[in-house]
Amino acid sequence: MNNDMGIFPEPAAVRVDPDAGSAPAPAGARARRPGVAAPLSEASRVAIEIRALIERGEMDEARQRFGELVTLHQRRASRIAYQYLRDSADADEAVQDAFVKVFLHLPSYREAWPFEVWFTRILINGCLDRRKARTRRDRWFVGGEPSSADEARLAAADATPDPERRLLARERRARLAAAIERLDGRQRTVFTLCHYGDCTPREVSAMTGLNESTVRVHLFRAARKLRGLLGGKP
Amino acid sequence: MIARTRHLHDDRLVECYLTERHGDALDPPVAEHLSDCPSCTERYAELAQFMETVRAEGDADADALFTPERLHAQRQAIARRLQGIVRPARVISFPRRLVRRTMTASTSRMAPRWAAATAAAGLFVGVALGAGYEWGAHARSVRQTLAADASRASRVAPVAALGNSTSDLADDVFLSELEIALERPHTRELQAFDAFTPHVRPIRDESR
Ligand SMILES: [Zn+2]
Repeated sequence: MNNDMGIFPEPAAVRVDPDAGSAPAPAGARARRPGVAAPLSEASRVAIEIRALIERGEMDEARQRFGELVTLHQRRASRIAYQYLRDSADADEAVQDAFVKVFLHLPSYREAWPFEVWFTRILINGCLDRRKARTRRDRWFVGGEPSSADEARLAAADATPDPERRLLARERRARLAAAIERLDGRQRTVFTLCHYGDCTPREVSAMTGLNESTVRVHLFRAARKLRGLLGGKP
Repeated sequence: MIARTRHLHDDRLVECYLTERHGDALDPPVAEHLSDCPSCTERYAELAQFMETVRAEGDADADALFTPERLHAQRQAIARRLQGIVRPARVISFPRRLVRRTMTASTSRMAPRWAAATAAAGLFVGVALGAGYEWGAHARSVRQTLAADASRASRVAPVAALGNSTSDLADDVFLSELEIALERPHTRELQAFDAFTPHVRPIRDESR
Protein backbone atom coordinates (compact mmCIF):
# COMPACT_ATOMS: atom_id res chain seq x y z
CA MET A 1 0.00 0.00 0.00
CA ASN A 2 3.02 2.19 0.28
CA ASN A 3 1.41 4.64 2.59
CA ASP A 4 3.86 4.89 5.42
CA MET A 5 5.42 8.13 4.38
CA GLY A 6 2.67 10.27 3.07
CA ILE A 7 -1.05 10.68 3.11
CA PHE A 8 -1.13 10.22 -0.60
CA PRO A 9 0.02 6.95 -2.13
CA GLU A 10 1.88 6.61 -5.36
CA PRO A 11 -0.17 7.93 -8.22
CA ALA A 12 -2.20 5.10 -9.67
CA ALA A 13 -3.56 4.78 -13.12
CA VAL A 14 -6.83 6.24 -12.04
CA ARG A 15 -8.63 9.04 -13.70
CA VAL A 16 -10.77 11.53 -11.94
CA ASP A 17 -14.35 10.69 -12.75
CA PRO A 18 -15.10 12.22 -16.13
CA ASP A 19 -18.81 12.31 -15.26
CA ALA A 20 -18.12 14.68 -12.46
CA GLY A 21 -18.52 17.69 -14.65
CA SER A 22 -21.99 16.71 -15.68
CA ALA A 23 -23.35 16.94 -12.17
CA PRO A 24 -26.65 18.67 -11.71
CA ALA A 25 -26.32 22.34 -11.05
CA PRO A 26 -25.77 22.95 -7.38
CA ALA A 27 -29.10 24.65 -6.98
CA GLY A 28 -27.63 28.04 -6.35
CA ALA A 29 -26.07 27.05 -3.05
CA ARG A 30 -22.75 28.46 -4.17
CA ALA A 31 -24.27 31.79 -5.01
CA ARG A 32 -25.81 32.03 -1.60
CA ARG A 33 -22.60 31.12 0.15
CA PRO A 34 -20.07 33.78 -0.67
CA GLY A 35 -17.20 32.12 1.14
CA VAL A 36 -14.57 34.80 0.90
CA ALA A 37 -16.62 37.58 2.38
CA ALA A 38 -17.85 35.52 5.32
CA PRO A 39 -16.52 36.51 8.72
CA LEU A 40 -13.96 34.44 10.56
CA SER A 41 -15.46 31.63 12.53
CA GLU A 42 -15.16 31.58 16.27
CA ALA A 43 -12.75 28.66 16.03
CA SER A 44 -10.59 30.46 13.48
CA ARG A 45 -10.35 33.50 15.71
CA VAL A 46 -9.38 31.41 18.72
CA ALA A 47 -6.80 29.60 16.60
CA ILE A 48 -5.24 32.91 15.58
CA GLU A 49 -5.08 34.02 19.20
CA ILE A 50 -3.40 30.77 20.20
CA ARG A 51 -0.93 31.15 17.37
CA ALA A 52 0.03 34.56 18.74
CA LEU A 53 0.47 33.10 22.22
CA ILE A 54 2.73 30.39 20.84
CA GLU A 55 4.75 32.95 18.94
CA ARG A 56 5.28 34.85 22.17
CA GLY A 57 6.29 31.64 23.91
CA GLU A 58 3.32 31.74 26.26
CA MET A 59 2.78 28.03 26.05
CA ASP A 60 0.74 27.52 29.20
CA GLU A 61 -1.76 30.13 28.10
CA ALA A 62 -1.74 28.70 24.57
CA ARG A 63 -2.53 25.25 25.88
CA GLN A 64 -5.32 26.60 28.00
CA ARG A 65 -6.93 28.46 25.12
CA PHE A 66 -6.53 25.41 22.96
CA GLY A 67 -8.84 23.61 25.35
CA GLU A 68 -11.60 25.87 24.03
CA LEU A 69 -11.05 24.63 20.51
CA VAL A 70 -11.07 21.06 21.72
CA THR A 71 -14.34 21.60 23.55
CA LEU A 72 -15.83 23.28 20.52
CA HIS A 73 -14.96 20.52 18.08
CA GLN A 74 -14.46 17.27 19.89
CA ARG A 75 -18.04 16.00 19.60
CA ARG A 76 -18.24 16.57 15.87
CA ALA A 77 -14.74 15.15 15.48
CA SER A 78 -15.66 12.06 17.47
CA ARG A 79 -18.75 11.49 15.34
CA ILE A 80 -16.73 11.69 12.15
CA ALA A 81 -13.93 9.50 13.47
CA TYR A 82 -16.38 6.92 14.77
CA GLN A 83 -18.10 6.69 11.40
CA TYR A 84 -14.73 5.99 9.80
CA LEU A 85 -13.35 3.60 12.34
CA ARG A 86 -16.36 1.97 14.02
CA ASP A 87 -14.35 1.56 17.17
CA SER A 88 -14.69 4.25 19.76
CA ALA A 89 -11.28 3.61 21.32
CA ASP A 90 -9.64 3.97 17.93
CA ALA A 91 -11.78 7.00 17.12
CA ASP A 92 -10.89 8.55 20.46
CA GLU A 93 -7.19 8.21 19.67
CA ALA A 94 -7.66 9.56 16.18
CA VAL A 95 -9.38 12.63 17.57
CA GLN A 96 -6.64 13.14 20.15
CA ASP A 97 -3.98 12.79 17.49
CA ALA A 98 -5.71 15.31 15.27
CA PHE A 99 -5.87 17.90 18.04
CA VAL A 100 -2.25 17.34 18.99
CA LYS A 101 -1.20 17.72 15.35
CA VAL A 102 -3.18 20.89 15.07
CA PHE A 103 -1.57 22.36 18.16
CA LEU A 104 1.88 21.41 16.95
CA HIS A 105 1.29 23.09 13.64
CA LEU A 106 -0.66 26.11 14.73
CA PRO A 107 2.25 28.42 13.90
CA SER A 108 1.54 27.54 10.28
CA TYR A 109 -2.14 28.32 10.57
CA ARG A 110 -3.35 31.19 8.43
CA GLU A 111 -6.74 32.81 8.66
CA ALA A 112 -7.30 32.30 4.95
CA TRP A 113 -8.21 28.77 5.96
CA PRO A 114 -11.26 28.12 8.07
CA PHE A 115 -10.03 26.31 11.14
CA GLU A 116 -12.78 23.72 10.74
CA VAL A 117 -11.62 22.77 7.27
CA TRP A 118 -8.01 22.54 8.36
CA PHE A 119 -8.78 20.48 11.43
CA THR A 120 -11.21 18.14 9.66
CA ARG A 121 -8.76 17.39 6.91
CA ILE A 122 -6.12 16.47 9.43
CA LEU A 123 -8.65 14.30 11.22
CA ILE A 124 -9.79 12.37 8.16
CA ASN A 125 -6.23 11.82 7.01
CA GLY A 126 -5.51 10.29 10.40
CA CYS A 127 -8.62 8.15 10.23
CA LEU A 128 -7.73 6.83 6.79
CA ASP A 129 -4.23 6.01 8.08
CA ARG A 130 -5.73 4.10 10.94
CA ARG A 131 -8.08 2.14 8.73
CA LYS A 132 -5.16 1.08 6.60
CA ALA A 133 -2.99 0.20 9.58
CA ARG A 134 -5.79 -1.85 11.07
CA THR A 135 -6.34 -3.74 7.86
CA ARG A 136 -2.65 -4.55 7.65
CA ARG A 137 -2.56 -5.63 11.26
CA ASP A 138 -5.68 -7.70 11.29
CA ARG A 139 -6.69 -9.34 8.09
CA TRP A 140 -9.92 -10.54 9.72
CA PHE A 141 -10.94 -7.00 10.39
CA VAL A 142 -14.36 -6.36 8.89
CA GLY A 143 -15.10 -2.70 8.61
CA GLY A 144 -18.50 -1.56 9.66
CA GLU A 145 -19.06 -3.79 12.64
CA PRO A 146 -18.83 -2.10 16.01
CA SER A 147 -16.20 -3.59 18.28
CA SER A 148 -17.42 -5.91 21.01
CA ALA A 149 -16.45 -3.32 23.63
CA ASP A 150 -18.61 -0.77 21.86
CA GLU A 151 -21.48 -3.22 21.52
CA ALA A 152 -21.35 -3.70 25.27
CA ARG A 153 -21.25 0.06 25.86
CA LEU A 154 -24.17 0.64 23.50
CA ALA A 155 -26.17 -2.12 25.13
CA ALA A 156 -25.47 -0.61 28.53
CA ALA A 157 -26.47 2.83 27.29
CA ASP A 158 -29.73 1.51 25.93
CA ALA A 159 -32.29 2.09 28.62
CA THR A 160 -34.89 -0.10 26.91
CA PRO A 161 -35.68 -3.05 29.13
CA ASP A 162 -37.26 -4.86 26.18
CA PRO A 163 -34.72 -7.32 24.75
CA GLU A 164 -36.55 -7.39 21.44
CA ARG A 165 -36.19 -3.67 20.99
CA ARG A 166 -32.56 -3.83 22.00
CA LEU A 167 -31.95 -6.47 19.41
CA LEU A 168 -33.75 -4.43 16.78
CA ALA A 169 -31.60 -1.43 17.65
CA ARG A 170 -28.50 -3.53 17.31
CA GLU A 171 -29.64 -4.83 13.96
CA ARG A 172 -30.34 -1.34 12.73
CA ARG A 173 -26.85 -0.28 13.74
CA ALA A 174 -25.28 -3.25 12.03
CA ARG A 175 -27.23 -2.74 8.82
CA LEU A 176 -26.59 0.96 8.65
CA ALA A 177 -22.89 0.55 9.39
CA ALA A 178 -22.54 -2.22 6.84
CA ALA A 179 -24.34 -0.17 4.22
CA ILE A 180 -22.05 2.80 4.78
CA GLU A 181 -19.11 0.43 4.64
CA ARG A 182 -20.22 -0.69 1.22
CA LEU A 183 -19.93 2.77 -0.23
CA ASP A 184 -16.74 3.25 -2.12
CA GLY A 185 -14.00 5.29 -0.47
CA ARG A 186 -14.90 8.61 -2.05
CA GLN A 187 -18.58 8.19 -1.46
CA ARG A 188 -18.02 7.21 2.14
CA THR A 189 -15.75 10.14 2.85
CA VAL A 190 -18.01 12.65 1.19
CA PHE A 191 -21.12 11.21 2.80
CA THR A 192 -19.52 11.06 6.24
CA LEU A 193 -18.27 14.62 6.09
CA CYS A 194 -21.51 16.05 4.75
CA HIS A 195 -23.84 13.94 6.78
CA TYR A 196 -22.11 13.38 10.09
CA GLY A 197 -19.62 16.21 9.96
CA ASP A 198 -22.16 18.85 8.95
CA CYS A 199 -19.91 20.05 6.18
CA THR A 200 -21.23 21.72 3.05
CA PRO A 201 -20.13 20.30 -0.31
CA ARG A 202 -17.94 23.36 -0.66
CA GLU A 203 -16.16 22.62 2.59
CA VAL A 204 -15.75 18.98 1.63
CA SER A 205 -14.28 20.21 -1.63
CA ALA A 206 -11.75 22.29 0.31
CA MET A 207 -10.93 19.35 2.59
CA THR A 208 -10.46 16.77 -0.11
CA GLY A 209 -9.28 18.75 -3.11
CA LEU A 210 -12.10 17.25 -5.17
CA ASN A 211 -14.03 19.85 -7.03
CA GLU A 212 -17.39 20.77 -5.70
CA SER A 213 -19.44 19.18 -8.44
CA THR A 214 -17.55 15.92 -7.94
CA VAL A 215 -18.35 16.09 -4.24
CA ARG A 216 -22.02 16.46 -5.09
CA VAL A 217 -21.95 13.56 -7.49
CA HIS A 218 -20.42 11.31 -4.83
CA LEU A 219 -23.02 12.48 -2.40
CA PHE A 220 -25.90 11.70 -4.75
CA ARG A 221 -24.47 8.29 -5.49
CA ALA A 222 -23.96 7.57 -1.81
CA ALA A 223 -27.54 8.54 -1.01
CA ARG A 224 -28.88 6.44 -3.88
CA LYS A 225 -26.82 3.42 -2.89
CA LEU A 226 -27.75 3.66 0.77
CA ARG A 227 -31.42 3.90 -0.06
CA GLY A 228 -31.08 0.85 -2.25
CA LEU A 229 -29.25 -1.10 0.43
CA LEU A 230 -31.42 -0.07 3.33
CA GLY A 231 -34.76 -0.39 1.64
CA GLY A 232 -35.58 3.25 1.13
CA LYS A 233 -36.89 3.97 -2.32
CA PRO A 234 -33.95 4.20 -4.70
CA MET B 1 -35.30 26.89 -15.04
CA ILE B 2 -37.26 23.75 -14.36
CA ALA B 3 -40.22 23.14 -16.55
CA ARG B 4 -43.40 22.76 -14.59
CA THR B 5 -44.19 19.46 -16.28
CA ARG B 6 -40.93 17.75 -15.40
CA HIS B 7 -40.63 16.17 -12.01
CA LEU B 8 -37.56 16.77 -9.89
CA HIS B 9 -34.85 14.17 -10.24
CA ASP B 10 -33.80 12.31 -7.08
CA ASP B 11 -30.39 13.96 -7.25
CA ARG B 12 -32.06 17.31 -7.24
CA LEU B 13 -34.04 16.28 -4.18
CA VAL B 14 -30.82 15.32 -2.39
CA GLU B 15 -29.53 18.74 -3.32
CA CYS B 16 -32.65 20.31 -1.85
CA TYR B 17 -32.23 18.35 1.34
CA LEU B 18 -28.64 19.49 1.73
CA THR B 19 -29.50 23.07 0.94
CA GLU B 20 -32.22 23.19 3.54
CA ARG B 21 -30.15 21.34 6.09
CA HIS B 22 -27.55 24.05 5.92
CA GLY B 23 -30.20 26.68 6.41
CA ASP B 24 -30.32 28.02 2.87
CA ALA B 25 -33.38 28.71 0.78
CA LEU B 26 -34.22 26.54 -2.20
CA ASP B 27 -34.02 27.94 -5.69
CA PRO B 28 -37.36 29.58 -6.41
CA PRO B 29 -38.31 27.35 -9.37
CA VAL B 30 -37.52 24.25 -7.34
CA ALA B 31 -39.41 25.54 -4.34
CA GLU B 32 -42.32 26.39 -6.59
CA HIS B 33 -42.38 22.94 -8.11
CA LEU B 34 -42.30 21.36 -4.68
CA SER B 35 -45.22 23.51 -3.62
CA ASP B 36 -47.27 22.59 -6.65
CA CYS B 37 -46.45 18.94 -7.17
CA PRO B 38 -47.78 16.44 -4.62
CA SER B 39 -45.76 13.64 -6.16
CA CYS B 40 -42.42 15.42 -5.77
CA THR B 41 -43.42 16.66 -2.34
CA GLU B 42 -44.02 13.11 -1.23
CA ARG B 43 -40.78 11.86 -2.76
CA TYR B 44 -38.90 14.67 -1.09
CA ALA B 45 -40.48 13.90 2.25
CA GLU B 46 -39.50 10.26 1.94
CA LEU B 47 -35.96 11.09 0.98
CA ALA B 48 -35.54 13.62 3.75
CA GLN B 49 -36.97 11.19 6.26
CA PHE B 50 -34.53 8.56 5.11
CA MET B 51 -31.55 10.89 5.26
CA GLU B 52 -32.52 12.22 8.66
CA THR B 53 -33.01 8.74 10.01
CA VAL B 54 -29.62 7.62 8.79
CA ARG B 55 -28.03 10.68 10.30
CA ALA B 56 -29.83 10.44 13.60
CA GLU B 57 -29.03 6.75 13.97
CA GLY B 58 -25.35 7.32 13.31
CA ASP B 59 -25.13 10.30 15.58
CA ALA B 60 -27.04 8.53 18.31
CA ASP B 61 -24.52 5.69 18.34
CA ALA B 62 -21.54 8.00 18.38
CA ASP B 63 -23.10 10.10 21.12
CA ALA B 64 -23.95 7.04 23.19
CA LEU B 65 -20.30 6.01 23.02
CA PHE B 66 -18.82 9.46 23.45
CA THR B 67 -20.59 10.36 26.65
CA PRO B 68 -19.87 13.67 28.41
CA GLU B 69 -17.57 11.75 30.77
CA ARG B 70 -15.68 10.26 27.89
CA LEU B 71 -15.35 13.60 26.15
CA HIS B 72 -14.05 15.03 29.40
CA ALA B 73 -11.48 12.25 29.59
CA GLN B 74 -10.58 12.95 25.98
CA ARG B 75 -9.95 16.62 26.78
CA GLN B 76 -7.77 15.62 29.69
CA ALA B 77 -5.79 13.17 27.59
CA ILE B 78 -5.19 15.85 24.96
CA ALA B 79 -4.12 18.32 27.64
CA ARG B 80 -1.65 15.77 29.02
CA ARG B 81 -0.18 15.18 25.59
CA LEU B 82 0.13 18.90 24.96
CA GLN B 83 2.11 19.25 28.17
CA GLY B 84 4.90 17.34 26.47
CA ILE B 85 5.18 19.93 23.73
CA VAL B 86 7.69 22.56 24.70
CA ARG B 87 8.17 24.36 21.44
CA PRO B 88 5.97 24.93 18.43
CA ALA B 89 6.56 23.25 15.11
CA ARG B 90 8.40 24.93 12.30
CA VAL B 91 6.47 27.44 10.28
CA ILE B 92 5.62 26.36 6.78
CA SER B 93 4.38 28.74 4.17
CA PHE B 94 0.66 28.58 3.92
CA PRO B 95 -1.66 28.86 0.96
CA ARG B 96 -3.34 32.20 0.57
CA ARG B 97 -6.77 31.56 -0.79
CA LEU B 98 -9.64 29.46 0.37
CA VAL B 99 -13.26 29.49 1.34
CA ARG B 100 -14.05 30.97 4.67
CA ARG B 101 -17.20 30.15 6.48
CA THR B 102 -18.38 29.50 9.94
CA MET B 103 -19.25 25.86 10.04
CA THR B 104 -22.82 25.68 11.13
CA ALA B 105 -24.24 23.29 13.61
CA SER B 106 -26.46 20.58 12.30
CA THR B 107 -29.60 22.54 12.95
CA SER B 108 -30.89 24.66 10.15
CA ARG B 109 -31.55 28.31 10.50
CA MET B 110 -34.71 27.91 8.48
CA ALA B 111 -37.49 25.45 9.02
CA PRO B 112 -36.78 22.87 6.38
CA ARG B 113 -39.45 22.26 3.82
CA TRP B 114 -39.34 18.54 4.44
CA ALA B 115 -40.57 19.07 7.99
CA ALA B 116 -43.83 20.36 6.59
CA ALA B 117 -43.70 17.93 3.74
CA THR B 118 -43.31 14.88 5.96
CA ALA B 119 -46.21 16.04 8.06
CA ALA B 120 -48.31 16.64 4.97
CA ALA B 121 -47.48 13.23 3.61
CA GLY B 122 -48.35 11.62 6.91
CA LEU B 123 -44.76 10.63 7.48
CA PHE B 124 -42.68 11.11 10.55
CA VAL B 125 -38.99 11.00 11.18
CA GLY B 126 -39.42 8.15 13.56
CA VAL B 127 -35.92 7.63 14.76
CA ALA B 128 -36.80 7.30 18.40
CA LEU B 129 -39.60 4.97 17.56
CA GLY B 130 -37.34 2.87 15.40
CA ALA B 131 -39.60 3.52 12.45
CA GLY B 132 -36.95 4.28 9.91
CA TYR B 133 -36.61 2.25 6.79
CA GLU B 134 -38.36 -1.07 6.46
CA TRP B 135 -37.82 -1.84 10.13
CA GLY B 136 -41.38 -2.98 10.53
CA ALA B 137 -40.96 -5.99 8.33
CA HIS B 138 -37.66 -6.61 9.93
CA ALA B 139 -39.15 -6.74 13.39
CA ARG B 140 -41.04 -9.91 12.60
CA SER B 141 -37.95 -11.78 11.56
CA VAL B 142 -36.15 -10.54 14.64
CA ARG B 143 -38.87 -11.91 16.84
CA GLN B 144 -38.34 -15.28 15.23
CA THR B 145 -34.62 -14.96 15.63
CA LEU B 146 -35.05 -14.19 19.28
CA ALA B 147 -37.26 -17.17 19.81
CA ALA B 148 -34.96 -19.43 17.91
CA ASP B 149 -31.63 -18.56 19.36
CA ALA B 150 -30.87 -15.60 21.55
CA SER B 151 -27.17 -16.24 21.44
CA ARG B 152 -27.04 -15.68 17.72
CA ALA B 153 -28.17 -12.18 18.41
CA SER B 154 -24.72 -10.86 19.03
CA ARG B 155 -23.78 -11.47 15.43
CA VAL B 156 -26.71 -10.44 13.33
CA ALA B 157 -25.53 -10.35 9.78
CA PRO B 158 -25.15 -6.89 8.38
CA VAL B 159 -26.13 -6.11 4.81
CA ALA B 160 -23.03 -7.84 3.58
CA ALA B 161 -19.61 -8.19 5.04
CA LEU B 162 -17.95 -7.57 1.75
CA GLY B 163 -14.76 -7.18 3.65
CA ASN B 164 -12.15 -4.56 3.90
CA SER B 165 -10.32 -5.33 0.72
CA THR B 166 -12.96 -3.73 -1.44
CA SER B 167 -13.41 -0.64 0.62
CA ASP B 168 -9.71 -0.36 1.24
CA LEU B 169 -9.03 -0.51 -2.43
CA ALA B 170 -11.66 2.14 -2.84
CA ASP B 171 -9.85 4.26 -0.27
CA ASP B 172 -6.67 3.86 -2.24
CA VAL B 173 -8.44 4.86 -5.40
CA PHE B 174 -9.92 7.80 -3.57
CA LEU B 175 -6.56 8.90 -2.24
CA SER B 176 -5.03 8.50 -5.65
CA GLU B 177 -7.72 10.69 -7.06
CA LEU B 178 -7.04 13.17 -4.32
CA GLU B 179 -3.47 13.24 -5.39
CA ILE B 180 -4.48 13.83 -8.97
CA ALA B 181 -6.88 16.49 -7.82
CA LEU B 182 -4.10 18.15 -5.90
CA GLU B 183 -2.08 18.47 -9.04
CA ARG B 184 -4.78 20.44 -10.72
CA PRO B 185 -3.92 24.13 -10.69
CA HIS B 186 -6.86 25.28 -8.61
CA THR B 187 -6.03 22.92 -5.78
CA ARG B 188 -2.29 23.38 -5.77
CA GLU B 189 -2.52 25.26 -2.49
CA LEU B 190 -3.63 22.07 -0.79
CA GLN B 191 -0.17 20.63 -1.27
CA ALA B 192 1.27 23.05 1.22
CA PHE B 193 -1.58 22.14 3.45
CA ASP B 194 -0.65 18.49 3.38
CA ALA B 195 3.00 19.23 3.89
CA PHE B 196 2.15 19.95 7.46
CA THR B 197 -0.42 17.26 7.95
CA PRO B 198 1.91 14.77 9.57
CA HIS B 199 1.11 11.21 10.38
CA VAL B 200 0.24 9.50 13.59
CA ARG B 201 3.57 7.97 14.48
CA PRO B 202 5.89 10.99 14.39
CA ILE B 203 3.34 13.00 16.31
CA ARG B 204 3.06 10.39 18.98
CA ASP B 205 6.81 10.24 19.30
CA GLU B 206 6.92 13.99 19.66
CA SER B 207 4.19 14.33 22.18
CA ARG B 208 4.35 11.31 24.41
ZN1 LIG C 1 -43.02 16.93 -9.56
